[in-house]
Amino acid sequence: MTGAWIKPQITRYNAVLYLLAALGFVLVVIRFAGGIGRVSNLNDGYPWGFWIGLDILAGIALAAGGFIVAGMVHLFGAHKYHALARPAILTAFLGYLLFIIGLAIDLGRPWMIWQVLFHWNHSSPMFEVSWCVTMYTTVLLLEFLPVVFERFRWRHLLGMWHNFVPWAIILMVTLFTLAMSGSNVWTLLVFTILLLWEVAMRTGLMRRDAQMPVLLVMAGIIFSTLHQSSLGSLLLIIPHKLHPLWFTPVVPVFFLLSAIMIGVGMVIFENIVSARVHKRKPDTHLLAGFARALPVLLGLYLLIKVGDIFRTGAAEYLFMFNSAAIGMWLELVVGVMIPLVLFMTTETRTSEKWLLRGSVFVVAGGIINRLNTVITAVVVEKWAPYHPSWMEIAISLGVLSGGILVMDFIVRNFPVFDDRPALAR
Amino acid sequence: MKAMLIDTTRCVGCRGCQVACKQWNGLPAEETQFFGGAGYQNPRDLSSKTWTLLTYNEAQVGDHYDWVYGKLQCMHCQEPACAASCPTSAMEKLAEGPVVYHTSRCLGCRYCMLACPFQVIRFDWFSANPYVSKCTMCADRVLSGQEPSCVKSCPTDALVFGDREILVAEAHRRIEENPRKYVHHVFGEREVGGTCVLHLSTVPFELLGYRSDLPEKSLRRWTEPAMKPIPYIVAGLSLALGAVAWIVSRRDKRMVEKWVKQVKEMQ
Ligand code: SF4
Ligand code: SF4
Repeated sequence: MTGAWIKPQITRYNAVLYLLAALGFVLVVIRFAGGIGRVSNLNDGYPWGFWIGLDILAGIALAAGGFIVAGMVHLFGAHKYHALARPAILTAFLGYLLFIIGLAIDLGRPWMIWQVLFHWNHSSPMFEVSWCVTMYTTVLLLEFLPVVFERFRWRHLLGMWHNFVPWAIILMVTLFTLAMSGSNVWTLLVFTILLLWEVAMRTGLMRRDAQMPVLLVMAGIIFSTLHQSSLGSLLLIIPHKLHPLWFTPVVPVFFLLSAIMIGVGMVIFENIVSARVHKRKPDTHLLAGFARALPVLLGLYLLIKVGDIFRTGAAEYLFMFNSAAIGMWLELVVGVMIPLVLFMTTETRTSEKWLLRGSVFVVAGGIINRLNTVITAVVVEKWAPYHPSWMEIAISLGVLSGGILVMDFIVRNFPVFDDRPALAR
Repeated sequence: MKAMLIDTTRCVGCRGCQVACKQWNGLPAEETQFFGGAGYQNPRDLSSKTWTLLTYNEAQVGDHYDWVYGKLQCMHCQEPACAASCPTSAMEKLAEGPVVYHTSRCLGCRYCMLACPFQVIRFDWFSANPYVSKCTMCADRVLSGQEPSCVKSCPTDALVFGDREILVAEAHRRIEENPRKYVHHVFGEREVGGTCVLHLSTVPFELLGYRSDLPEKSLRRWTEPAMKPIPYIVAGLSLALGAVAWIVSRRDKRMVEKWVKQVKEMQ
């Protein structure tokens, strides 16, 4: 091992995070000892609520930056954004770990999760989500490993990693295809395609990316595309409960598209904030180029969302005065319209301050959207409306605070923002 | 496929079914409370200890007010949303009719509860090892050729059990013979793809606590279009992304070569 660790310290600034994490921990103990009903307002009419909305739907969307940046840099050849890749992968990895913790808190019997490996239900979006999450978290772990190897100067492991990862990916994607389709033909087809690319690279027909195995990045994109959208598919089974402003057969498309917006927003947000915290200069020129995607994405989203609202005949609900209408306007204005206007101007995209502000809108709007879809938009007849309890919120905040502290520790101790270890600088 | 016909006009509200259900399934009694709002039953709602519940509803019947009884329980849908959504197939539709619950596979994700259009699944909110629960149509009895415990106990034959087609025909026969007594609708015949619990009533079904606005097509019809394309997406993306990587790597190679040439020329 090289270098001493920069130990975590409690300072004036992060004391709140430690407090929240501690409170969250206590509440989680209560939840596991006494049941979900002890800490939450969830009930038989509203079995899903704040945790699903924030920790799962929003959390996963926020972590979308990982596959976007990794794909851009290592697959689509946008090498100039290289500096953004590692932090985005780390954020995504931690985001998924937090999500898994959040899921474990929300599941009644999380220790049974392995059951999804053995009882395949091809018709369940939840089955797809759980497989994708398992697979993609593994992908992120594999993508992050080189950072660990560098930290400890384990060169030989890095070589082994390059060799081993493509085979692991072929296995994972193939198995995934079998689980999802139950069809040997599809499984064989996917296996053959992946194998051909790998052989093309091993024989030198195709050049490989020096840093990331192409198949690894591909798998990241495939799993992310599928499960960002399948989180939306979860809602398709409740046309009778979901408000018409949110229910549409194309909700998976909206989930994917908005996850990409939110992911891009999050990369910008996180880059600037962590630069400020760690007294680095943010990569503003890179972010400016990166942010050029936002007006396109936001504009597209707005266009098809509004078009879809009119197509499904839900437009009248927009002009009522109730929580659904307010919720929809809020997510569209905060998360889409304001940032759309902001990011269309070069001034916003080139100024650190405005990049940060614009990205806050995108991220906040995204969180509102995901919370709306499982809280505001779900209406169960004959049941008193659900509101999250303070303990539900405190548990989510606690998990998040814990995550930020871990992230901070890693950034200080591992070569995340820089290819050189922090101590060698 | 077996089914149950509930003719609420024959029900006298004895709640024998509710007790028989508890006896057969070994469910404990429940502490009950008076409550405000619609209904005068006891307990107020289904719970993890009460899988079927007789509801007491005050409703206008003809020119007077009267008690009308309803029976809440799992409807044993022909294409159950719960089974379609459960990630581990812990909810399973049997060919004989019942929708059963394999406790040991359940993660407690409660997706089935969200999905169920009839709101009948209940969760152990105050347990450290919680399960969901619902009526199983006494699958153990049905599979051995008996009728469910509640049907067995019913003294007025408000509950009858048999083949679904026969019961559907029987329900229509009763409506035809007594068109003024019944609402002209067999609740469960077509709702969300049809259920194996059929209801007849003398008052609109909403008054008994049922939703009258459920679609006729099975809820699976909405998720299927999202699940079917998965293998296409995996294969398509594998092909397309690989191709992109190839093109990009060739472009990069050419750029590097050009750059090397320029450097050489400069020297
Ligand atoms: S009524 Fe609900 S629990 Fe019963 S089979 Fe239908 S979807 Fe499943
Ligand atoms: S709570 Fe249990 S039975 Fe219901 S969907 Fe989840 S795993 Fe399946």
